[in-house]
Amino acid sequence: MKLTRPAVFLLLLWLALLAGLTWFVERQLQVSTDLRLFLPSPTTPEQQLLLEEIGEGPASRVMVISLKGAAPEQLADASRTLVENLQASPNFRLITNGDISIESVPDELLAYRYLLSTTLDERPLDEKYLHAQLQERARDLASPAGAFLEPWLPRDPTLELLKVLQRWQPMQEPNRLYDVWFDREGERALLLAQTRAAAFDPDQQRLAVEQLNAEAERLKRDDGITLTFSGAGKFSVMMEERTRTEATALGTAATVGMIVLLLVAYRSIGTVVLSSLPLASAGLAGLAAVSALFGTVHGITLAFGFTLIGVAQDYPMHLLSHRHAGRSPVETARQLWPTLATGVASTCIAYVTFLLSGVIGLAQLACFTVAGLAVAGLTTRFVMPVLMDPSGRDFGESEWLGKLWRRMASLPRPRWAGVAAIILSVGAMLLAPQPMWESDLSKLTPVPRELLIQDQELRNELGTPDVRYLLVVSAADTEYALQKLEELDEPLQQLVAEGAISGYDHAARYVPTAQKQRQRQARLPEPATLRADVDAAVKDTPFRPDVFEPFMADVEKARHLRLLTVDQLRDSPLGVSVEMLLTQHAEGKDKSAGRTTALVTFSGVQDVDALEQFATDAGPGVTLLDTKEASETLVTNQRIKILWSLALAAVLLAGVVTCSLRRASRVYRVLAPMALTTLLIVGILQAAGVSMTLFHLIALILAAGLGLDYALFFEHAADDPMEQRRTLHALLVCSVSTLMVFALLACSTLPVLRALGLTVSIGVVSNFVLALLLTRPAAPAHGT
Amino acid sequence: MLTLLAPLLAWSASPDDRAADALIERLAKPAPATISFTEVRFSKLLRAPLIVSGDLGYSGPESLDRRVTRPYREHTSIRGESVKVEREGEKPRSFALKHAPELRGLLSGFAAMLSGDATALRKTFAVEMTGNDDAWTLKLTPTDTKARRRLEHIEVNGRQSEPRCFTMTTADGASSVLLLGAASADPVADDVTLVGLQRRCGAGPGS
Repeated sequence: MKLTRPAVFLLLLWLALLAGLTWFVERQLQVSTDLRLFLPSPTTPEQQLLLEEIGEGPASRVMVISLKGAAPEQLADASRTLVENLQASPNFRLITNGDISIESVPDELLAYRYLLSTTLDERPLDEKYLHAQLQERARDLASPAGAFLEPWLPRDPTLELLKVLQRWQPMQEPNRLYDVWFDREGERALLLAQTRAAAFDPDQQRLAVEQLNAEAERLKRDDGITLTFSGAGKFSVMMEERTRTEATALGTAATVGMIVLLLVAYRSIGTVVLSSLPLASAGLAGLAAVSALFGTVHGITLAFGFTLIGVAQDYPMHLLSHRHAGRSPVETARQLWPTLATGVASTCIAYVTFLLSGVIGLAQLACFTVAGLAVAGLTTRFVMPVLMDPSGRDFGESEWLGKLWRRMASLPRPRWAGVAAIILSVGAMLLAPQPMWESDLSKLTPVPRELLIQDQELRNELGTPDVRYLLVVSAADTEYALQKLEELDEPLQQLVAEGAISGYDHAARYVPTAQKQRQRQARLPEPATLRADVDAAVKDTPFRPDVFEPFMADVEKARHLRLLTVDQLRDSPLGVSVEMLLTQHAEGKDKSAGRTTALVTFSGVQDVDALEQFATDAGPGVTLLDTKEASETLVTNQRIKILWSLALAAVLLAGVVTCSLRRASRVYRVLAPMALTTLLIVGILQAAGVSMTLFHLIALILAAGLGLDYALFFEHAADDPMEQRRTLHALLVCSVSTLMVFALLACSTLPVLRALGLTVSIGVVSNFVLALLLTRPAAPAHGT
Repeated sequence: MLTLLAPLLAWSASPDDRAADALIERLAKPAPATISFTEVRFSKLLRAPLIVSGDLGYSGPESLDRRVTRPYREHTSIRGESVKVEREGEKPRSFALKHAPELRGLLSGFAAMLSGDATALRKTFAVEMTGNDDAWTLKLTPTDTKARRRLEHIEVNGRQSEPRCFTMTTADGASSVLLLGAASADPVADDVTLVGLQRRCGAGPGS
């Protein structure tokens, strides 16, 4: 193919622009995997909390680790080594295996025992109490516990630290063997790790995941122990890898297939290369637009965006297939433009409605697609024709295409089939046993089910609390939140006693309010008083009078301690528990700025009504959060918003087509296949037992856009037999290539890609067949 | 010189081990076995030793019950790796056996002896035997250095196939003497000394 000088200049300019865009995108683009971009902005505090929990909440940073494949004692040792190895790692904030012994309490916390224990609330530290305690200690000393209590007694004759440690134990303690957490069967040692990075920070999470993988390898090699771990962070890393691997494999296959197809169809390498330029421009323009407007691009936006603008590959194909022996490419382009432009404009306008959905991810998707399609359409119209080889093949002269067209023209127009399709689809929608829509938020995260089940099972073993019900206490600051929790503690104990729940947990179990600590501090006796009381108390016990000096020193120290705060506890083994239960919102971020949200978690929930009653009685600022309900409401809200966007899109699309075609019969012929196909897809999915998700909706829109294009071009074919052959060629290449790409996607192991592939594949076939049956001009009767 | 020492060395090496093994074999008793005890506990923290008595029930290598009946009632049960202490009028207390190496020593010593399994005993302890059939002493020293940091050694005194005393000495010098069976029958004076008890354990019958 020979290019004129201006054409060469144009080509170089185009390539230079593409290079420039690539550079811009490379510099600007930040990919995020935060699922929340695809959820609507929360409207209630419950939803707000839910989203925080999903995204950055401490719970999302927790990884559950299990070790198995050796004797329990070995596993316990491996568990301790793992804690030692990971404690120093910059990737993990905290790792704990349940080993909370006297030795594991940091030294600076030891003296706080008198401020943390409830003992002083009930009685003073006086002679009477000390005497009773010393009597008990003498018995302890004579018991098998004596040997390990003995070194500790001079410092803590009332065993205050043990009381504090007992209070800190979860009410539903995981099983313990050799002092570390195990599952019920005693086969797996369990640990909890908390990463520094949030779950949706894939780069940082990858470092943590890699470190754990390295530990797993070491354990396997040295001790034959199998380490498995799970958590939101691992899932996000894993899914990203899997998606990327599959997308690359499928993408490569699709590209090869596409090239082969194009070579077969157009028999020129130059043409194939040229035809890829509008799509490349579309992708880069889309990326540039999103990164300029939004800064970060969600991974899903990218994946879907590229799928959606795949439609743009059809534009150059239409141009190439319509090449006319007697016309220059520029003229051909000018002639095709009204049809092509109607398709591009209506699809773009349909996507624009996504901007109004209030879902950032969808707005990004809209921005990406609109920019991409517009660029693809414009380059196809104005740049491609100049660069095209004018002497290419004219498909109007193809014999077999002519034969095929005549055969198609003689096909019946079974109106009853359309009616039957409508009835069957509606029937399937009404009769299908599964819900029409998937409201389970977890289905939006494409994590394989068996992994989620394994994760849940590990969490159950660790006695992590019920995930469904949470009590949310919102307060002006941490002190108020702790105060409220202390108030609620008694009614909570009541709930346990009544059997409504089997246990609960909240931050005030670990950190008392400043007020309470101050009270306890004030009750600690002065040195002289304490000395006199100790001397008197020791008298008729077997203890020597002079051994309790360290105890008196500690009490005196406790009298002058600065009160313990949540922050001080954060890096201790209790940090994980406390931080999950208490969130201090950063100042100035949103309306919850500076406030503190405290959670009460429950385990073994039996009586939800009692919990609701309890929450109502607890007064303002306390709500019972049903996370399942909140997430379902969220998904429902999202769906309603998207459906409204879709309805608006349909109206706008019909409007654009009407404006362009002007005659009702033409409009009907163009819109009917598309509408019927949408109905058919939904019907087939429902009949196949699939509940629809966001991803199906996106696929539906894509299928509708394709259908519109097919119908428009079939409609455009008019009466000229040569032109009919060209259109048929274009539509065959377009639909076969699209079907190939989406059939490949339908083979994916990832549920999301499969949903997309399947939906669009059905759509392509149905759209093509229906366009053929309904839109095809009322042929031979008055034709040629 | 060497010739003089030779028989002595020969006597102290393998024949001693063999004698110890033979003794341990003789100590075997079928589980479950129950034996009465009096425990006297000495500690730096105490002016006078603590004395309690009751009985020990052994029903397998992972299960030991220690019931105190005087001067108060208390029940300690060891099941596998966990120890539970229940005392009248108090909340039961549980802890891991790991925290009480003395107890683990006692348990494994007991288990090995009651099953007559010298090999098992030698796995956790260095065994040293002195004396004769009528008054023998088995000195058990933990082989594990970590365990030795807490429990220095256990001395078992006995006569014929009857163990009479278990003396456990912890690394910080505290000790506890367990008088068993017939040896526990006679009351122990409130101000008894360790030396006095050792004499009672080692110095033959009766008194």
